[in-house]
Amino acid sequence: MQLFLFWCAALLMLVFGVAVILNRNPVASALSLVVSFLGLATLFMMLDAYFIGIIQVLVYAGAVMVLFLFIIMLLDLRAENLRKINWPATAGGAVVAFVFLIQVLSVIGRLTDAKKTFPPLARSTIDDVRNVGVTLFTNFNFPFQVIGVLVLVATIGVVVLSKRELANK
Amino acid sequence: MSIWPPQLEIAVLVLGAVLLLIEMFFVSLDKRAIAYAAIASLATILVATWYLAPALPAQATGLWSFYTADPLAIFFKRFALVTTIIVLVMMLDYTRRSTSSFALGEFFALPIFTCAGLMYMASAIDFVSIFVSLELVTISFYVLVGFDRKDPASLEAGVKYLVLSALSTGFLVYGITWIFGVTGLTNLNQITAAFEKIDIDKNAATFGALLVLVALGFKIAAVPFQIWVPDVYQGAPTPVTALLSVGSKAAGFVVLIRVLRPFLMLPHMDRLLLIITILTLLYGNLAALPEGNLKRLLAYSSIAHAGYLLIGIVCLDGAAITFYLVAYLLMTLLSFAVLIIVAQQTGESISDFDGLATRSPFLAFAMLMAMISLAGVPFTAGFFGKFFIFASAIAQHQFALAFIGVVTVGCGFYYYLKVVRAMYWNSSDKIDNIHVSMLSRVTMTALIIAIVWLGIYPQPIFRALEPTRISVALRSTTTR
Repeated sequence: MQLFLFWCAALLMLVFGVAVILNRNPVASALSLVVSFLGLATLFMMLDAYFIGIIQVLVYAGAVMVLFLFIIMLLDLRAENLRKINWPATAGGAVVAFVFLIQVLSVIGRLTDAKKTFPPLARSTIDDVRNVGVTLFTNFNFPFQVIGVLVLVATIGVVVLSKRELANK
Repeated sequence: MSIWPPQLEIAVLVLGAVLLLIEMFFVSLDKRAIAYAAIASLATILVATWYLAPALPAQATGLWSFYTADPLAIFFKRFALVTTIIVLVMMLDYTRRSTSSFALGEFFALPIFTCAGLMYMASAIDFVSIFVSLELVTISFYVLVGFDRKDPASLEAGVKYLVLSALSTGFLVYGITWIFGVTGLTNLNQITAAFEKIDIDKNAATFGALLVLVALGFKIAAVPFQIWVPDVYQGAPTPVTALLSVGSKAAGFVVLIRVLRPFLMLPHMDRLLLIITILTLLYGNLAALPEGNLKRLLAYSSIAHAGYLLIGIVCLDGAAITFYLVAYLLMTLLSFAVLIIVAQQTGESISDFDGLATRSPFLAFAMLMAMISLAGVPFTAGFFGKFFIFASAIAQHQFALAFIGVVTVGCGFYYYLKVVRAMYWNSSDKIDNIHVSMLSRVTMTALIIAIVWLGIYPQPIFRALEPTRISVALRSTTTR
């Protein structure tokens, strides 16, 4: 049952991930991304990472994607015209991706740990959210602060790049 | 005295935030004042690195498992600060004549955040902190590269950099995941210890290390990952190009030095690095030969110099790499500083430098010093940089590398001296004097003096690094 669910979620993710790229209509692309995120959330849930799964749905599929859709509709973006496909480049990219896939598969094939079944996780006495919070604010306090700066810089960047032209210059 | 170990970075961050707030609340303030204030404050912090540097604790727990303050880290913090100060001086020159309506306050404030990111990166000894600080640097670069929104070239460069950099970040995270999957660790020292054990899956660890190398190769512009370099360097505002070519590259090499110790315990790593080095040397130097645009020429030259630095990586000579990076900082920033001023008068191609010797003897001399140092003429810092690198290559019996290195230096002479020829031998129909501001004049003079000084007396750099003994530490791993 679990394996079946895994394949369902993984396929869903991959198919809609490809659809994000192939769709020429930005709204369709954004909605495909939502479905892809739902598949990802399912995978997280199956790994017992409920909190991350829920965040995936709430924040990514919910807030971020709705914002995307809002912006797409506000800007009134139209479907892109089909571009001429650059065949040599596409073929080259496909070859690189294929070689990379073979590489990953061969490494996994030789991985001894991959053949073992993992022992079931010990039931945590405290809930997920608390665990994540405690880890974030104690062990990973330092990277967490740097991420705070990162978000500040990103905010400044967005403001700068989307600001209307200054009139006084 | 140490209240909170990363106090130098925090000082830089507070400076950036305060400057942004001042810019916002004092609308009538001349935006240039922000740049002057930033330069002065960063110089103060630079001086403070000698007094406020935190002492290393005996045990690496808590914060100290992510962050280190060894001499290498402190040295590269100073390196980042110096780079940012000079880049801010360049930005002042760049915006003097610029017609585009820049959001000047942010243009001056963002490099400060980049600098903080570079400083964090110099201290990072854990994959998690490497990743977050790398992202801090990269995200501020996304904004800076595409800053000149009205210029399609800048926008194109911004998009190219965004897409390719995001891809390389993906590789980095995937690689870190593999290494974490094999060892269950992210701290580099602990990973080194874990790789010593036999029951580690070497295949999977090598795969992870390979992916991390891909991402770092992108940062340092090593060959198969260099395609973005010429376009992004050309399109970005020139001071940003300077920051990108010096700051980003130096940070990439610091991380590379740090991850090298665990990585070289894995099979095939040394051979892989050797191939990347040879490719980078050949590509960077050969592609630069026919180039007529100076900014693109400097982009290819930055790839070529990544190749020389990689020789140092292959030979595990941390001191030689550091010296080379310092020389690279001096000469690259000097050439960009001249380029910015000349480009505002005429343009960016080499033919725009025709007769610069008569138009502005000072600028021509500064460019001459930068070019002969980049080429590696004796009595310049660039010569000693290459000398130490080749010396360690020969000491490690990497004769092929030393040979290719020397041959490509020959190519370098051709394309660097092309610029010198344009300045001193070609005559120009334009006889107009170029004005150089006092601050830029002082900065360039300081850079010229530093190039000559280090070209005669290179010891100060080695002394600053001495307590680390990085090269010794690295060598001991290879003999194992």
